[in-house]
Amino acid sequence: MKVFMIAWKDLKTFLRSRTMVIFSIAMPIIMMLMLGYIFPQNVGKISGKVGFYSQDLLFKATIKVANVSNAIFFNSKEGLIHALAKDEIVVGAVVPKNFTADMALGKAQIDVIPNPANPQAGIMMAQMIPTMAGNSSSSKTKKVKVNLTNVDGSAFNYYDFMAPGIMALVAIMSVANGLAASITRERELGTMDGLMVTPINRGNIVVGKIVAQTVRGLIQAIIVLGISMLFFNVKILGSIWSTILLLILGIFSFIGVGIIITASVKEQETAQIMMTTITFPMMFFSGIFFPVDQMPKFAQYISYIFPLTYAADALRKVITLGVGFSYISTDVIVLLGFAIVSSLVATIGFKKLIQD
Amino acid sequence: MKSKAISVESLKKYYKKVKAVNGISFDVDYGDLFALLGPNGAGKSTTIRVLTTLAAPTSGNVKVAGYDVIREDKKVRQKIGLVSDRLILYDRLTVLENIVFFSKLYNLDKKTIITRAEKLLSLLHIWEWKNTVVSKLSTGMKQKVNIARALIPEPDIIFLDEPMLGLDPEATRTIRNFIAALNKDGKTIILTTHVLYEVELLANKVAIMNKGKIVAIDTPRNLRNHFKREEIVEVETDSPIGDLNFDGEILEKIDNYMKVKVEDLDYFLKELTEMNIKIKNIKTFEPSLEDIFIKITSDEKDGVKS
Ligand SMILES: Nc1ncnc2c1ncn2[C@@H]1O[C@H](COP(=O)(O)OP(=O)(O)OP(=O)(O)O)[C@@H](O)[C@H]1O
Ligand SMILES: [Mg+2]
Repeated sequence: MKVFMIAWKDLKTFLRSRTMVIFSIAMPIIMMLMLGYIFPQNVGKISGKVGFYSQDLLFKATIKVANVSNAIFFNSKEGLIHALAKDEIVVGAVVPKNFTADMALGKAQIDVIPNPANPQAGIMMAQMIPTMAGNSSSSKTKKVKVNLTNVDGSAFNYYDFMAPGIMALVAIMSVANGLAASITRERELGTMDGLMVTPINRGNIVVGKIVAQTVRGLIQAIIVLGISMLFFNVKILGSIWSTILLLILGIFSFIGVGIIITASVKEQETAQIMMTTITFPMMFFSGIFFPVDQMPKFAQYISYIFPLTYAADALRKVITLGVGFSYISTDVIVLLGFAIVSSLVATIGFKKLIQD
Repeated sequence: MKSKAISVESLKKYYKKVKAVNGISFDVDYGDLFALLGPNGAGKSTTIRVLTTLAAPTSGNVKVAGYDVIREDKKVRQKIGLVSDRLILYDRLTVLENIVFFSKLYNLDKKTIITRAEKLLSLLHIWEWKNTVVSKLSTGMKQKVNIARALIPEPDIIFLDEPMLGLDPEATRTIRNFIAALNKDGKTIILTTHVLYEVELLANKVAIMNKGKIVAIDTPRNLRNHFKREEIVEVETDSPIGDLNFDGEILEKIDNYMKVKVEDLDYFLKELTEMNIKIKNIKTFEPSLEDIFIKITSDEKDGVKS
């Protein structure tokens, strides 16, 4: 109960600062708006396999002619989606029944479902299919219409890729930052002494703070999701509880960093600078704004050391593809590992922190 | 034998190379008002931090309320209250929110807390401010709330680290009287200060610290007597005073009036009577603790230990 008293006190002091509340809400909003418009739409080569679920028997032959060597064929749409979730293919395409016939009539349609972890490939495919199907750039008549869609058939946009990543980023970063700031502030003001001189278990202090910051981080993440849904047509296809659980797992995987920094430097400013030094590269390497698959190899290896990479990936699959935990087991196991190590580090860090 | 409220044996507390406290020993009995006196950086706050389990001693044996500060720190914390050199209050919470929050950590129920808070805050004339956010209070009011916060769990031993720092004379007087009353009620109080006047008024035992060591420890009266080497005397006589032969120094001399600093008052008075001068009025000034304090700490600086 002492944990919740401390958590509630932290939240109450937070809520009393109007600027802090405003910025906590504004930060994710600004981030979403800003980043939504700067995504590069460049076209390159698709690296990875392309999945097809074809209801048209003649389609396979057409593809052969077009010489797409990295194509995999599936017998159902579910098979295609699961392969996307398992990253076996980078993009999936659903070919309707009379595709080849309609092509001759110039009214053929195809649905391309990008892997949310790498929407670039989907966009490229959408651009390549018309060429493959014989659309010449010079002729005005398009023989094939390509729909870039989500699993449920709604139009895919960049926010479908970005929103889950930003949710994870906002939650993880604001909790680690907030925790470091809150501990150092109390230490500098002297109120930490006030807490430590009471007969409570000192562990309650740090756990209480973690609870308070997690609540705040989740609220910020939900703001990101809300904006994405309201303004950018993002839909949660998976379970909201899996989403929250993954966010909490992500938060815990990074908490140790916040605490160990706080324990090793005494001043709030220095702690802040150190936090930024770590979180800034994490933002770019974890594939939040730019797909990890599209990065150079060395950058991909670096991305593996950040728990955010796994959290963002898992969240994308749950939110955009709507799959359950069995498809993100690797991400979840890695995140659990990070969370356990992080909690151990946090415990040791806190012991060091209260030593004087 | 009654157990001691505090017993400190050869306590050392080093911060890397800084010897903040460098081997001190002292006892405090229950009911004492013990003052730790010393210049800036003497190690007073550090001593308080060790006694209140906020800092671990580098070496030495420290017991508070009969419990070891390292092995039984939680039991120690159950018995103590702290007003540290920094305010232990949340700026953005109201007076009552602060008090309720901290007191609940001592397992007090809200009703008890409010009852005690009303009594204490009324005594300190700040009950009417109970729903005000702390950041809007004056320094003096904040300190009163801070003291109330420390007292509501009704600790046996109260640590006050420079409680009157930065307060106006009015607030200082209120708090000083309040501390005296607390002590009269039987609370053991450990007070640090560099204002000697406070000590003379309040304490029944004083330790003077300098550079991490206790350089003198006694009752304020004994300390004064012990260091009484010279006295300042004002005499008024019935006739003008001629040349006198004594060990000392004449500070002022106008006709029948003389102010002198003497090494031996008895000898000086004998001289006067031998000259057949009648004393109409005599006034002696005892050295204040301030004089003693300055003397001790400057002796230390010169390397001359008394
Ligand atoms: N956490 C710390 N880390 C390093 N040095 C410290 C720390 N706390 C205190 N010191 C040093 O220990 C010495 C004693 O400090 P302390 O605060 O105990 O003195 P003080 O008697 O309370 O002085 P003041 O009257 O200024 O409050 C000082 O030299 C101080 O710089
Ligand atoms: Mg001090």
